[in-house]
Amino acid sequence: MIRLRAEFEKKGRAKYISHLDLNRCMLRTFRRSRLPIWYTEGFNPHPYYAFALALSLGFESSCEILDFNLNEEIPFDEVRDRLNAVMPEGMRIVRVWEQKLKITAIQEAEYSFSLVSENSDGLFSDVKKLLSQENILIDKKTKKGIRTVDIKPNMKIISCENNNGKINVLMRLPAGTQTNFNPNLFIEALRNSTEINFTAENISRTGIFCENNVKFE
Amino acid sequence: MLKEKIEKHLLEIQKPSRYIGGEVGSITKDKSKIDVRFAFCFPDTYDIGMSHLGMKILYSLTNERENYWCERCFAPSPDFEEIMRENDIPLYALESLDPIKDFDFIGFTMQYELSYTNVLNMLDLAGIPIFAKDRTDKLTQIVDAGGPCVCNPEPLADFFDIFILGEGEEVNLELMDLYNKMKKEGASRLDFLRKACQIEGVYVPRFYEFVYKADGTVDHVETRENAPKVVRKRIIKDLDKVYYPKNFVVPFTEIVHDRVSVEVLRGCIRGCRFCQAGFIYRPFREKSSDVICAETKALCENTGYDEVSLASLSTSDHSDIDNMLTQLIDYTEKERVNLSLPSLRVDNFSESLLEKIKKVRKSGLTFAAEGGTQRLRDVINKNVTEEEIMNTCRIAFEGGYSAVKLYFMMGLPTETDEDIVGIAELAQRIIDLFYSIENRPKGKGVQVSVSCATFVPKPFTPFQFEPQDTREEIERKQKLLIDSVKTKKVKVSYHDPNVSMLEVILAKGDRRLCPVIYTAWKKGCKFDSWGEHYRFDKWVEAFEDCGVDPKFYANRRFEYDEILPWEHLDYLVSKEFFIRENKTAHKAVTTPHCRLRCSGCGVNKKVGRDCF
Repeated sequence: MIRLRAEFEKKGRAKYISHLDLNRCMLRTFRRSRLPIWYTEGFNPHPYYAFALALSLGFESSCEILDFNLNEEIPFDEVRDRLNAVMPEGMRIVRVWEQKLKITAIQEAEYSFSLVSENSDGLFSDVKKLLSQENILIDKKTKKGIRTVDIKPNMKIISCENNNGKINVLMRLPAGTQTNFNPNLFIEALRNSTEINFTAENISRTGIFCENNVKFE
Repeated sequence: MLKEKIEKHLLEIQKPSRYIGGEVGSITKDKSKIDVRFAFCFPDTYDIGMSHLGMKILYSLTNERENYWCERCFAPSPDFEEIMRENDIPLYALESLDPIKDFDFIGFTMQYELSYTNVLNMLDLAGIPIFAKDRTDKLTQIVDAGGPCVCNPEPLADFFDIFILGEGEEVNLELMDLYNKMKKEGASRLDFLRKACQIEGVYVPRFYEFVYKADGTVDHVETRENAPKVVRKRIIKDLDKVYYPKNFVVPFTEIVHDRVSVEVLRGCIRGCRFCQAGFIYRPFREKSSDVICAETKALCENTGYDEVSLASLSTSDHSDIDNMLTQLIDYTEKERVNLSLPSLRVDNFSESLLEKIKKVRKSGLTFAAEGGTQRLRDVINKNVTEEEIMNTCRIAFEGGYSAVKLYFMMGLPTETDEDIVGIAELAQRIIDLFYSIENRPKGKGVQVSVSCATFVPKPFTPFQFEPQDTREEIERKQKLLIDSVKTKKVKVSYHDPNVSMLEVILAKGDRRLCPVIYTAWKKGCKFDSWGEHYRFDKWVEAFEDCGVDPKFYANRRFEYDEILPWEHLDYLVSKEFFIRENKTAHKAVTTPHCRLRCSGCGVNKKVGRDCF
């Protein structure tokens, strides 16, 4: 059994595929590719595959991680090409390699998005104000109910620019098995703190990282 | 562009992947190279419509032609409809995301009567005039319909340019070819319809006029523009040679029948007297086992589905069933595909067959007993005896099953209270049987689910003449059934009689119902088959506003010598046969199935060959 990992894009219309549907979609993609995927050996054998992180409905991504096992050794590029030949529109395997790190090594994810407003200058100053606060408190829905969380301590702003009526943000948020913060939390916090109307567009996951800025592989 | 407008709102609604296309297997073309564009519309939501096999066949078939493009279109759920109306998003097709009002054909499939108001709603959302008479004289926007309900299309006659009777594989392309030719010649809509109605299977309702008697029944039908007096449905002669898709559109979201379906046979040999499908799809034709297996394999490989089901009215009547299942199970086991087998009849459910099925998948057992007593089962010609039901249940229980689902109908012709109580008694005897079996499944109780529908008499059946029980009578019988069940091991469910009443009216109605359907839709009726959307009160108002008496259609016996609203349509089975069968039914005498003896329905004479 060979343990493989693939990085794939989910863009365009594929961003409307929910996480649950993505599971079903991937199963069918594997079957169409006729790759010798490894089945679990339990009472109800099924092809084994797992996504490192769930992606919110409506988000694009250039860096989703998919783990799966094969029964035979097949060149990585061939695996990639055979999957890409039968992938839905908007989804594309970028790279396939042998699993190195455990999924639990994931610490954070990077997101880019744009905030669009008729008053982008005003909005930009409100964004700055929000970012300079010591805490950014927001209600987060969890399995146990609604909990107030502070997203500020673990939020890293990589860049934030006001560009022709669009505020382009690149930020990192905790991700993985422990804490998962979604950029929608920040966007909601901004909505609560500003009176300016805006929309958040083109939310995209652009990177998945371990500790010390190491790219997850 | 429409796409941006749609995408702006997609995250505000449930299951957005239903509205944006891009599924694996969907077919996009360069529209500058297309001569004829066809919007295949299913008048219900994506989840339901995407499960429809006929759409899959005709979609692939049409798209095989390089210069024709068939796209899909469904009724949006109310949440998205609201957004579409607020933001001026016209109804669009899923492949190009272009508005369907710009298409050459807007073709609906009419699978059930309760989807009629959705057709009007979809036309309205599309910005297409709802009444055929209000559409442009130009040759574009031909609104047509096919499917089982168009065997009596009269309640929809005012809304459609064309109805296509019977199987569409050949006639659809003939119609599109004619359109393509005439469009290039600069013909008008009327020119086209005049020529189209000469194609066998094409019914152009505007060329027919109904004249009624003082008592409200049909006096005669006048034809215009040289249209044929009788329009005959189309059939495919050789099922092994007919086109079958090698690929399906594979949806992202889960749909009702989310699997490969392979058609096994068309028509039915059984002749159950209530069953419309059993008559309108005659003659009986089978696909060979080799073709079925090859189609299964191709579809599983191309779609990636890991489940396949066999589609037919009665799969176990296939003459080569054992060999077929053996071959199929060989393939499905090897490829880890689940095989599901609906429509298996009780009476030829052999132990060896059950063994094979069990090897594959263990799901529930369902039997359509339909009637609670042998006398009533004889009346409806459901040639199933209690002994056979018990035998099958015994085999099933010994094989580890502990749940059985039984289907019945209520309000059948000649039905008495004894027949209703008989349903509960039959269920009880199945429970007794379970506990009498030594090696029954241990640790589990037995569960018998009784699902009781209200009988809806349908055109082109021996029961087409029959009235439906009144609502009061059905409610009384439902209560009687509930009171007759003495144990919690039997669960009873039944249909809302108000829904069944609308079904029969729309099934057996005539053109005077067009304004009623329009009025009901205007009052907000849509998704009538969805319990939470059904507004019986609005329908009652619509009947009143239009001065139409629903009882005239629902609760009146149609006489044998009366001209029925669907009598100018020829579905190959003769009216004389239906009258004969109706009389036999009232004597509680059965008719053997077609393989045992030809009962002279007339199909073989019209087709010009023996059925077997």
